[in-house]
Amino acid sequence: MVKFLKLYEKIGIFIFLVAGAIFLSFASPHFLQGDTLFNVVAQGTYGAIVGFGMTLAITSGGFDLSVGAVMALTSVFLSILIPFIGIPLAILVSLIVASFVGFINGLIITKLKVNPLITTLAMMTIIRGVALIVAGGRQIVIHQKVFMELGTGKTLGIPNPIYIMVILFVIFYFILYHTPFGRHISAVGSNESAARISGLNVDLIKIAVFVLVSFTAGVAGTIRTSQTLIGIPTMAPGFVLVAITVTILGGTSLAGGRGNLWGTLFAGIFISMIYYGLNIIGVQIFYQMLSVGIVLILALFIDGIRNRYLETLKAKGLKV
Amino acid sequence: MKGSEKSRLIEQFASRFDSFVLPLLFIALVVVFSILSPAFRTTFNLVSTLRFTSFIAVGAIGMAFCIMNGDFDISVGSMLSLVAVIGSSMLPVIGGVPAVMFTLIFASFLGFVNGVFVTKLRIPAFITTLGMMFIFRSFAYIYTNNTPVYIQNKFWLFIGNGKVAGVPFAIILMLLCYVVAWLLLRKSPFGRYVIAVGTNRDAAVLSGINVDRTKIIVFTLVGLFIGIASVIISANLGSANPGMLGQGYEFQVITAVVLGGTVLGGGNGNLWGAFFASMVITYLKNGLGLTQVDSYWQFVAIGLVLIFAVAMSRVKFTVLGQKEV
Repeated sequence: MVKFLKLYEKIGIFIFLVAGAIFLSFASPHFLQGDTLFNVVAQGTYGAIVGFGMTLAITSGGFDLSVGAVMALTSVFLSILIPFIGIPLAILVSLIVASFVGFINGLIITKLKVNPLITTLAMMTIIRGVALIVAGGRQIVIHQKVFMELGTGKTLGIPNPIYIMVILFVIFYFILYHTPFGRHISAVGSNESAARISGLNVDLIKIAVFVLVSFTAGVAGTIRTSQTLIGIPTMAPGFVLVAITVTILGGTSLAGGRGNLWGTLFAGIFISMIYYGLNIIGVQIFYQMLSVGIVLILALFIDGIRNRYLETLKAKGLKV
Repeated sequence: MKGSEKSRLIEQFASRFDSFVLPLLFIALVVVFSILSPAFRTTFNLVSTLRFTSFIAVGAIGMAFCIMNGDFDISVGSMLSLVAVIGSSMLPVIGGVPAVMFTLIFASFLGFVNGVFVTKLRIPAFITTLGMMFIFRSFAYIYTNNTPVYIQNKFWLFIGNGKVAGVPFAIILMLLCYVVAWLLLRKSPFGRYVIAVGTNRDAAVLSGINVDRTKIIVFTLVGLFIGIASVIISANLGSANPGMLGQGYEFQVITAVVLGGTVLGGGNGNLWGAFFASMVITYLKNGLGLTQVDSYWQFVAIGLVLIFAVAMSRVKFTVLGQKEV
């Protein structure tokens, strides 16, 4: 049973994904066509990309609720900057602005010692307000059609956002599992005071993690903006739920210390499959929000049962 | 000796911080905005803003219990919207008094469900209620098909707009809620359990307190007060809009509680602080609105106030903590 639970934590979401895919291929004759499959994966990229950042944050024992607002801020900056400084520079500046928000999050959390949930909850409102102020409360249309290539174009038949997701996955995988910094993140998440005593610069690690989360939100915001060619200050209002659901569904432990990036990747695609499935049935958009909420509670439910089981085993003196 | 005298003064200042800073802040706010805006200083505006205070202050009671207990509930805004639309849609069918009763019971039930999820699944309340926040909101959309429910019932409207002897009923209701909550917190065993669980969960378990039951009751109380707040606000607006109602409400309520001097993470709190903090928040918003500050700045202002409040409470703890060492 313990072995099963360990295995489930690693590949549970993969089983869901395959089961969902089999179900959808029966439910819809179009599902197994290459274009549809790529579209489902491409729609899953936002959740997965921000999920990578959120995985690092939850692994380090933190949270970031401000990701949706950061996406909106990135979108607004892009739409304002592109006409003046060109697309590549605008993307660069917007991503720096997004990362800077993470830097402020990290500073408030580590230096003012404010709880990460409260900090990012407050920053969610502040950044949303700033995005609305910068945009003057309007949506800003981008006239440079070339920018659309980034989010909707294809290279070698595969949508561009998938490349971005894969590149980020490789980078984050490398950071989390193959660098000292990644091990330090896990160390801070499993036992902060032990990490501090053993000489790690906990504050610096946390700040770096929050910068990375905001960076991923910036990337997701850039992709989404390029798909619509509009800078939207109210973009992605409930997105933080998707990012956290993807992370937890992927098997990253809420207690911190153990991140599962493969799981996050598959969970991002899985959520996108749910949306696709609901679209086939033709339900309203409210049900999509409902389904993500229910999937989150379900994931928590399974997580809770697993923790209870492991606790009873521990109480019996078994090594888990 | 002079040094210890000084540190004692600082300590006294720190421990009384919430009790006098908030009323002072409130007075300063009212004076400044009264000078800046003629519209602000009218009796009509001051009284009607107090009515909006009741909307936040009543919700803050439940949240104060919840935070003292060491938890959070961020589903309150969506819960408010859901119970308001369902309760008010019942009005033509079952009449005013039963519909209000139904709203309160239904809200308490939703809080109860939150409590069961949090205690039985042993998942941090924050995440559970984050999921519930979206579930409640989508149910509110689905139930109404995203159309507002208009309210014509006299009794329901009276709760938000009526007056008793010239005083708005919502304000009387708010004060009543605070007195009951204060009695519950300070004069009943339950209040001591809440604080004990929030201060040290393991110690509370060892001393025989039923932690799960305490937590479930606290979440049910959150629901009950949200039910009251939902009747007040929907009566005030004359309609219940599933999308607009309660947007950002969790944020305002948590800000009120934390600004009021209740410390995140559990333990003893400050109920009246939450009351004054609600006044500060509503009059700040009202004042910013009337002085023609862009409404988006209100988001920024309240966010900054929240971070400032929590950071201040850290400073307070450092000062008080040093004394113990």
